[in-house]
Amino acid sequence: MSATKASRIGEEIWKTRIDKVNAELVTLTYGTIVAQLCQDYNSDYQEVNKQLEKMGHNIGMRLIEDFLAKSGVGRCANFRETADMIAKVGFKIFLNVAPTVTNWTSDNNQFSLIFDENPLADFVELPDDGRAQDELWFSNILCGVLRGALEMVQMQIEAHFVSDVLRGDDTTEMRVSLVRYIEDEMPPEEE
Amino acid sequence: MPVYSFYIFDRHAECIYKRRWLPRPTSIAGKSSRATDPQAGPTGLGQTVKAGDDDAKLVFGTVFSLRNMVRKLGGEEDNFVSYSTSQYKLHYYETPTNIKFVMLTDLKSPSMRIALQQIYINLFVEYVVKNPLSPIEHPGGVGVNNELFEESLEQFVTRVLA
Amino acid sequence: MAAPPRHVSMLSISNSNSNSNAGTPQSTSSEKPQTPQPPSTPQPTSGLRVPSNRKTIYDRHLNRSRNAESSRASFAYLFAEMVAYAQRRVKGIQDLEKKLNEQGYPLGLRLLDLLFYRSTSTSSSALSSSSTSSSPPNRPLRILPLLHLIHGPLWRLLFQRSADALEHSVSPDTPNEYMITDNDPLVNTYISVPRELNMLNCAAFIAGVIEGVCDGCGFEAKVSAHNQPTEMWPSRTVFLLRFGDSVMEREKVLERAGVK
Repeated sequence: MSATKASRIGEEIWKTRIDKVNAELVTLTYGTIVAQLCQDYNSDYQEVNKQLEKMGHNIGMRLIEDFLAKSGVGRCANFRETADMIAKVGFKIFLNVAPTVTNWTSDNNQFSLIFDENPLADFVELPDDGRAQDELWFSNILCGVLRGALEMVQMQIEAHFVSDVLRGDDTTEMRVSLVRYIEDEMPPEEE
Repeated sequence: MPVYSFYIFDRHAECIYKRRWLPRPTSIAGKSSRATDPQAGPTGLGQTVKAGDDDAKLVFGTVFSLRNMVRKLGGEEDNFVSYSTSQYKLHYYETPTNIKFVMLTDLKSPSMRIALQQIYINLFVEYVVKNPLSPIEHPGGVGVNNELFEESLEQFVTRVLA
Repeated sequence: MAAPPRHVSMLSISNSNSNSNAGTPQSTSSEKPQTPQPPSTPQPTSGLRVPSNRKTIYDRHLNRSRNAESSRASFAYLFAEMVAYAQRRVKGIQDLEKKLNEQGYPLGLRLLDLLFYRSTSTSSSALSSSSTSSSPPNRPLRILPLLHLIHGPLWRLLFQRSADALEHSVSPDTPNEYMITDNDPLVNTYISVPRELNMLNCAAFIAGVIEGVCDGCGFEAKVSAHNQPTEMWPSRTVFLLRFGDSVMEREKVLERAGVK
């Protein structure tokens, strides 16, 4: 499936099949989650990143079912198709944005998502404590979401942010790598 | 149109939900060694799987083998939809996340593929997956047997499919 | 007792009331003339780095996301994680509700500023709100206007509809109690509470938001969420607002003074 076709599908589902809420409710709710973590972990931002990723992983494992239920799409033929599906359908129907897929490695196992818009970070300025801008990946939950979601469709991936406008970078970019395809689990042997 | 039973298996090959409505025809039960299974009574509420209650395992083994065979013959994208015996019809729907929905009905039943898909989309995703108080995965069936899911499944089967 | 700062380490999400004096250009209180701050200066007061393309909160209009939509599911997932996270750190229903309430509280504080900003700059030109004389003071001084602010604008901002009912306690013993009812709270959409937790109402989070709004307005209050299902509305929830003594006393003074 081509990227343009994926975009069309994403648009269509977003318009017709998605219950909406005010985007600010999502933004602000996410903000309180991050703030709570920063408080609970005494601004240990490495730990906050880790916790956000974990939460995202939990979300991804649920969200993928919703994604499949809403989109009705089947398995992707290859990782390139998966990337377009994530960017143009997944992000579209859950956050109403469509990041750009780019910077593929030649083996087609790694790509970047560039976020022009990031609704999670809409009202955000990182704490001016001399550390947050170097240590906190505010939107790290998204990395976990991808990892959890793809794990459920038998892909082990690794995702991390490499830049973020909140840190003063000009772009917000996430790097996604395919680690391996996961085999079906068998029922435990008996007798 | 009688629905006999319904099963959900997760990606770890575990039965996370099962429910029986009508006892299967006695001729099956008679031949089966579990003829005296007290849980085979009509409209039992959903049960989480109990150890030693192994019809779920048999069902899983069957659909798992069938599905693998079908893929070998017809390619990775192929899947089986249902099979019939002289006594019942088994309907199968599998999601890309490897969740397997199985329903046993009488022979006259039309295809339940759409119905199973509806159960997945409208009941399982809405009431189990999205329920914050339900765990993400369901070892032993925990979290699937919540009130909203069970009631709406009951309604779906008794009103929509009946 | 004025509310002590319950959340010291808020991230500075813009408009967070704690730094409304920071002189950022989008500071929202309409009573404050905004002209002295050069509106086009993107530099925050501090050593924070900003992207050269100026994609900062200072360069983007605060109403940009006003009508933006997101998916209800995304909210549900975030909320679910919030509940799960809180659940891991508490024992029992009361603790869980308290924790959810605490998470909602800072949101209420922030939304309050956004509400005021929006309520003055909605119609016509947004910029005209810098002249204070034309716009009526919109900060509620009495309980009733505050409740209307919650029942109407706050609910619409959060849920795109008003709340379903607003009532005053009929008991003479509790004149400080008010109830706001939501027949079908968004936060409970996907929640099926197990029997052993049947007192739990995750809308405690929204109760916290309301509490934040009240406190932010200077109305000390305790707000809690209660299940009051009806046949038609199984997840109907009543938010009980209990205002503190100081508020009730002030209410009497203002009443005599004829302040509305």
